[in-house]
Amino acid sequence: MNPYLALARAQARSVLAYRGNFALGLGGFLFQLVALLAVWRVVLSNGPIGSFDWPQMRSYLLVAFASGVIVGMGADYRMASRIVQGDVALDIVKPVDYQRARFAEAFGGVWIEVAVVLLVGGVTLVLFGGMAWPGWSETMLFLCSMLLLFPLKFLVVYMSGLACFWTQHYVGIQWARVAVVNLFSGALIPLAYLPSWLAAAAKWSPFAGLTSTPGLILVGQAPGREGFVLVAVQLFWVVTMWLAARGLWNKAMARLTVNGG
Amino acid sequence: MYLRMQGIHLRSLLEYEADFWIMVIATVLMQIVNLIFLQALFAKVPSINGWGFWPVVAMFALVAIAEGVGSLMFEGMWKLADLINRGELDYLLVRPFPVWLQVSSNGVGINGASNIITGTIMLIAALTHIDIAWSPGLALVGVLLLISAIVIKVSINLATNAVSFWSASPTPLFAMAVHQVGDLARFPLSVYPLALKLALGIVVPFAFVSFFPIGVITGKVSPLLSILVPVVAVYCAVVARQTFRRGLRRYESAGN
Repeated sequence: MNPYLALARAQARSVLAYRGNFALGLGGFLFQLVALLAVWRVVLSNGPIGSFDWPQMRSYLLVAFASGVIVGMGADYRMASRIVQGDVALDIVKPVDYQRARFAEAFGGVWIEVAVVLLVGGVTLVLFGGMAWPGWSETMLFLCSMLLLFPLKFLVVYMSGLACFWTQHYVGIQWARVAVVNLFSGALIPLAYLPSWLAAAAKWSPFAGLTSTPGLILVGQAPGREGFVLVAVQLFWVVTMWLAARGLWNKAMARLTVNGG
Repeated sequence: MYLRMQGIHLRSLLEYEADFWIMVIATVLMQIVNLIFLQALFAKVPSINGWGFWPVVAMFALVAIAEGVGSLMFEGMWKLADLINRGELDYLLVRPFPVWLQVSSNGVGINGASNIITGTIMLIAALTHIDIAWSPGLALVGVLLLISAIVIKVSINLATNAVSFWSASPTPLFAMAVHQVGDLARFPLSVYPLALKLALGIVVPFAFVSFFPIGVITGKVSPLLSILVPVVAVYCAVVARQTFRRGLRRYESAGN
């Protein structure tokens, strides 16, 4: 069997073995969703503010939740701890490409993350009433954007994990990553609400593809050509970061020391 | 004794200088992102249920300070589950020093220090921007509320971590889950539906860490609550102490 397929299948089966940690990782994103839903419901109860009304904000926050959960449930800790513990030495001697192998593992684990997103999304829609879907072409574009979200999120997580070659612990790096991604992806607050200079910088950053791009397309705020441009930018960052991650890996290999034997 | 143990952990932490700075930068970054978020939100709306920008900043600040004290001084609690699971609690039992203090001083979270500092800056900035009729009495109440908030947060940490005496899991999943609920308390309690209000006000009283103290100081809730907050703090401390004691009595060690 293709070794990458085998890794993905093994990971797909093992996610259920770590249910506790999975639920715990989920809690952080879930409580952020609950808090933001509660705040925006009050804020938007007197009508739309800026470009968002309450039903649009609801859909947008669900996209933000999905972007947090996808490749966010322990996949980052698994990758980082392999490096911190030195297990990475075993990975290097295996005849598979490290980056592609980790990608395959992340892909294997994604089914339960998608299931949780659909479940939470469904419950939210039942509680607050349905959502307005955009037209056919925009729905297709939204799905493309969500598909690109997976490799993009993987690369952000993977590259922050590689930072462990230079440090001893992962927690600090993870916190910093979550803070930066929360702000620049628009997961905490839509980019349109930020000061214009910050919004412009965030819009073209790789992080925008993590919430803002699919979110805006879904609520119909990136109509026609604009949506295509945003998805193209997303694709550009996936390719660029895939290559950059390779560069970072080569740099890390040059300074790798593993203790013990 | 307690200070000496903490000193040892602090020194061992400074050994990895890069990690030390990453933790400090990460926690400061998180607070900056919070402030940008609040700033952007309140640029569009003057208030949420009567709560303006600065009172909400003050609530974020109180949560940061209370969490900071928990991390800096009592980080070891989070290792209790692991100690029980591996049977290493036995070593602590034979030493002539309160067990809960030994457990608590079993680590230092340097992120606590930066959280306390950024939280204090945010709190002072917020309090100077809110129009409060300060008097010596109110200042005294303020200090009492701050201490109560910290006691409540630390007590919840201790009580939920003591659940590990019963669960026998090597990671304190329950405590971590409750800890995450605390993030909800950074926003005014009034935005939440009734079930969450009851949860945060009564079941796990995180609302007394941030919402009620700031409410009392800014005059948004009844001043009677200035008495209730310390009462809740004492109650939480007693419950935490009892939970830990009962757990300890139940402890039978593990392994050979």
